[in-house]
Amino acid sequence: MQKFISEQNLKTLLDQMIQAGKRVIAPRLEAGTTLYGPISTSSQVCLDELPRRSAKEAFFPVCEDILSYKKDGQQLDVSDVSPNSFPESTLFGVRPCDAAAIPVLDAVFSWDYKDQFFLERRRKTTVIGLGCTKADDACFCTAIGLSPDDRKGSDLFLIPLEGGGYQCDVCSEKGEALIATAPELFEAPSQAQPLPKAVPGMDNIDLKKVKKWLDENFESPLWDEIAVRCVGCGACAFVCPACHCFDIVDEGTEKQGKRRKSWDACGFWKFTHHASGHNPRDMQPKRYRNRIMHKFKYYDDKFGQTLCTGCGRCIRICPVGIDIAAIVEDISQRS
Amino acid sequence: MNQTIDTSAYSVITDAIRSEAARLLSAGEVSAVIGYAAARRKGSAQPIVITAADDAARLFFSPACVNNLAVYLTKAKKDVPRKGKIAIVVKSCDLRAIAGLIGESQLKREDLYLIGIPCAGVLASTASPDSELTNNSIASKCLECENNVPQGVDFTPAVKVSSPQGSSRYTAEIARLEQMSPAERWAFWKEQFSKCIKCYACRQVCPFCYCEQCLCDRNKPQMVDTTPRPSGNLAWHIVRAIHLAGRCAGCGECERVCPMDIPLNLLNRKMAKELKELYDYECGFEPQEKGPLNSYDEKDDQSFIK
Repeated sequence: MQKFISEQNLKTLLDQMIQAGKRVIAPRLEAGTTLYGPISTSSQVCLDELPRRSAKEAFFPVCEDILSYKKDGQQLDVSDVSPNSFPESTLFGVRPCDAAAIPVLDAVFSWDYKDQFFLERRRKTTVIGLGCTKADDACFCTAIGLSPDDRKGSDLFLIPLEGGGYQCDVCSEKGEALIATAPELFEAPSQAQPLPKAVPGMDNIDLKKVKKWLDENFESPLWDEIAVRCVGCGACAFVCPACHCFDIVDEGTEKQGKRRKSWDACGFWKFTHHASGHNPRDMQPKRYRNRIMHKFKYYDDKFGQTLCTGCGRCIRICPVGIDIAAIVEDISQRS
Repeated sequence: MNQTIDTSAYSVITDAIRSEAARLLSAGEVSAVIGYAAARRKGSAQPIVITAADDAARLFFSPACVNNLAVYLTKAKKDVPRKGKIAIVVKSCDLRAIAGLIGESQLKREDLYLIGIPCAGVLASTASPDSELTNNSIASKCLECENNVPQGVDFTPAVKVSSPQGSSRYTAEIARLEQMSPAERWAFWKEQFSKCIKCYACRQVCPFCYCEQCLCDRNKPQMVDTTPRPSGNLAWHIVRAIHLAGRCAGCGECERVCPMDIPLNLLNRKMAKELKELYDYECGFEPQEKGPLNSYDEKDDQSFIK
């Protein structure tokens, strides 16, 4: 099903949802930086650039409480955070590279352990994707088999049209249900042409060849060559729409505190540091190898998917210019 | 007004770096050269460590060569081969960090071969790597530069470059913050730190963050909350600012790499200003054994004791 929605009606739609008590998460400015976050009015929406952090935080927050504890003498009270308390949400203005990562994450969060924190937010969230009309040379969704108008992960998908307004494609039952809440705001499909699609910086990479090389090259001088410059921060993993490692810590005192889950990154030396003191990934090249292996081999082995959507964020923010697109392209030409 | 800065000398500098690196490696004078190489994105650069003379042609210099490579000389970077003398490409701002590291007994001057770059400036992190260098796109640290031709190095390409012109962006911003009430200033930093995701990019690129185990990574005992929440974020940024006071060489790498755009160098510049006012101390180009915060002198200002 395809519809048309004007810019004004789109704003009205968002405002109506907010007024109805729904949480609307959209790209907005926070202290000068574009980030996805809850908005209180549609005028806060800022679609000028790709948000600095990905949309994964709508389902998998930077940090969240999972339980709290209180100890009084011999009395210990532990109370779990209930995923039932999570609000119905709409995630708006999601770029295809971010939306496509959501179903990729479904696989790991609903695997042997069903992560209710992720899955309940996922169940309660409708995703409105937005086609890209501009890209830079760090963008490489097309190299990973996606595109600037890929519907993967979106319930509704908007494509900006010449002369204003959006073509609105209904991609799921959730999307249909959202339209049914305000059918008067949607019109019959427009004849207007879509604005020209963005052109990312790289053509298709043969991911099968990448996988094949990785299958055979756990040990390779390439890892040293790439990672000698890596300074071991977590920036790439934290801005990534698909990286999903987390740490669990207790914070507080002996008497009371909280158990918290927060993002972790395989680039940190401490990520694999054992209690014994031994560290199987004792040098940075071993850690960087894990980043590539997890994205293009392990996740494929386990779930048949690639753990990268080509958003280019890690390339833009890497302090030392490590370019995952260039690395993967290089690997594809090795086998 | 947007004024172009002449960087035509950078191609001559590139040639000079290449031939000097090739000479050093083939003569066996150094075991490795740390420099910059072009990367895939248009105009982009990345650090590179080369050990063979044949690779010298990969070295280059451009306005995108902004990294302070001194971080690769510290014990925090164990992946860089350490055997005999190492050559490193340094801008004047990077040299200050090397002087600091020598002062702190982390490096020996005789283990280094310094290839100094006469520098007209490098690009701000907000500019794309293929941007033209202008008085707008130039990095803020360049406007603090007092001596853009490195002194006391082992080799400098024989070129003349203009020195960066323009008034300090930090001075203006520090003045603005100083005029705020404590509550307003607290609100400013609270909002900035709320974006922090504890990726520690600021720590990992800092030449002076070479602690074997950072206080913020310790868990026996846990000194600082590790989660990216207000208390842990504030604690980390205060630990960072205070630990660098009197040591920070002003390369601005922390601020450049912050993926959340937190103006971290503002804290460092403010600390430097305090050190100047209280102890008449500045981090310079000469290795100094002890900074004012790890030495005691009877003439030290005691007025803070009330």
